[in-house]
Amino acid sequence: MFKKLVILTLALAMLVMLGASIQAQDDMETYVLGVALPFTGSFGTFGQDFERGIDLAVAQMNAELESAGSSIRFETASADTEQTPEGAARALQTIVQTTGAQVVVGPLTTAEVLGAKQFADENGVVIVAMASSGPAASIPGDNIFRVIYPPDTFSSKAFATIALERGHQNMVLLHVDDAFGNGMKEQFITNYQANGGGEVAAFAYAPQSTELSTEAAAVSAALAGFGDTAGFFCVCFPGAAEAFVQVAQIDPVLTSVQWLGNEAMTSDEMLEDPGHAQTLANADFVTVSQSAEVTPLTPIFNADFVAMFDKDPGIFTNYAFDAANIAMLTMLAAGNDGAAVKSMLPFISNHYIGTAVQAFLDENGDQAIASYGIRRVAEDGSGFEVIGTYDGNSDTITYK
Amino acid sequence: MPPALLTTSLVNTIQIGSLYALMALGITLTFSVMKLPNFAHADYVSAGAYAALIVSLSGVLNPVVIMTAAFIVGALAALISHLFVFKPLEGRDVSLYTLILSSFAVGLIIRYILFLMADYFNLFDLRIAIPLRILFREGSLILSNLFAWVVPTSILLVIALTLLLNRTPLGREMRALANNSTLARVIGIPVERVKNHAWLLVGGLAGVAGALWGMQTAVNPLMGWAAVLSVFAAAILGGLSSFTGTILGAYVVAFSEHTVMLFLNFNFGVDLAYKPAIPFIIIIAVLLTRPQGFTQFFQRGGDLQR
Repeated sequence: MFKKLVILTLALAMLVMLGASIQAQDDMETYVLGVALPFTGSFGTFGQDFERGIDLAVAQMNAELESAGSSIRFETASADTEQTPEGAARALQTIVQTTGAQVVVGPLTTAEVLGAKQFADENGVVIVAMASSGPAASIPGDNIFRVIYPPDTFSSKAFATIALERGHQNMVLLHVDDAFGNGMKEQFITNYQANGGGEVAAFAYAPQSTELSTEAAAVSAALAGFGDTAGFFCVCFPGAAEAFVQVAQIDPVLTSVQWLGNEAMTSDEMLEDPGHAQTLANADFVTVSQSAEVTPLTPIFNADFVAMFDKDPGIFTNYAFDAANIAMLTMLAAGNDGAAVKSMLPFISNHYIGTAVQAFLDENGDQAIASYGIRRVAEDGSGFEVIGTYDGNSDTITYK
Repeated sequence: MPPALLTTSLVNTIQIGSLYALMALGITLTFSVMKLPNFAHADYVSAGAYAALIVSLSGVLNPVVIMTAAFIVGALAALISHLFVFKPLEGRDVSLYTLILSSFAVGLIIRYILFLMADYFNLFDLRIAIPLRILFREGSLILSNLFAWVVPTSILLVIALTLLLNRTPLGREMRALANNSTLARVIGIPVERVKNHAWLLVGGLAGVAGALWGMQTAVNPLMGWAAVLSVFAAAILGGLSSFTGTILGAYVVAFSEHTVMLFLNFNFGVDLAYKPAIPFIIIIAVLLTRPQGFTQFFQRGGDLQR
């Protein structure tokens, strides 16, 4: 009898505890933060690393909310954009329809952002993109916020100015055939020719291309046609950039002219190949990319990332971390409501200093602070060295 | 089109066409002997490329060793996919559509294993570390050491495969299996053993192609998949049953992608970004006008006939 009483008492106690737990859970409010990134495709490595950055931001935010006694918690819902505009649209739709998320961090490229835009605008979902920079997505009043990386309208001016300073009377341009590459091409040609530049021969390559010998042959022939005073500008994605340099390094014309290129050409992988490094060094390769400043939060982020994932963060992973923080801080202020987040996000962004740069948004919801570094390959090909800065807001280049 | 551009494009045609031929021969062999249009073939190429990359990163820069490693890994990937997926499915007498879908699934599994490995060890977009240098230069004709590896290796492997099919008991058994698998079984050919050897050969060729492709471009888990359309176009041009036709098809596809594309760009301003459309156009054109491809031109003993 006593045994039965003990068991009954224990069972009742467990029921009470379970009820209390359920009650406690009922009091908690969970905000879903959508994550739409390319987990597959040639940018899969970026997508996976960016997701880790977002997971770190969410874990830290939840820990702070818990210690502050808040009833709000964040959780993420991810979907693969497959690195295509259609995939990005599907990813956004999947996240929103399965979880009711009102805010989505990502996608990565401008083409993906534009692919997801219609669904976001029509359904009041806010997109917080961390690395998209194509001018085509600079649209006032829409639901897209590009909070970290400034649009290429700035860097294209810097590239055009540098080309003219180097005395390139004509230019040959190879670019990826998507919103980013086409936007950079148009902006570059406009700026270059408006300031006295001559003819620009532009060649596009398909985004999925991995073998670029045809493109290299075409670029080489165009450069040969222009003569000694032409320069080359490569607007390529990672992977294609390596493939292009691979075939270009034995081309007598391509190895005799000066090169400009976007920051995909400055990956660590590029310089790991001595032939590639030497090719870029011989071409006096110069790139213009956003200045990633070190803030007090930068080393903390790096250490926390290593502690959580046992690996170093990849390039731009901190941008994803910052974008997620801006999104979550806005949701804490505005609630889990797309329209309110859209209204509040510029205010929060403009008061946010993260791991790399101060966020400050323009009328299009894009990063307005355009501070770039100008870098070139060291003569021995061992690394990239900063040779100057470009202030996009005043359109001023300053060399060291 | 300037002569220099024409020369460069023809060199590219020969180099890339040789690589397509190596990859496409495996597809033709799989289709003829196993009756399977194997879409996982692309991922044997990637697996071989990663084996080659890892060996080269370990400091071994001898191309023969690198290609041997790629052959072994490609062959094992193909054999494992046969033993654990295709063979059990064949035993259940499933439809061709099921087999095709399962080949997509096998390809996805291999691809994502490579993705996981590449992510963990940071092995994206690296190049197999054999330095590229010019071996021969006369005017606009430039031949690199890569050309000197790719073209002879492809030709030697094609000759070896042809000799194997024509002059060895295993080759005769494979051809018998390709012609009539039921009859082959009835007359006592060890069908499973022959199939195992065929899969090893298919995967090995794909692996070597991956190693050479990884010297031409950058290695990533999608590199085989990115080439699969061109390779299937070559195999379809060859009628999926003729080695000679497949090799010719590979060079036709490469010629279209390089020389014809540059001609169209230079003379008519057609954007180079349309290059990936060329294999689609070839596949559709062949299927509409000549589904048998080049088969009728090459009905000789050396080829696998359906």
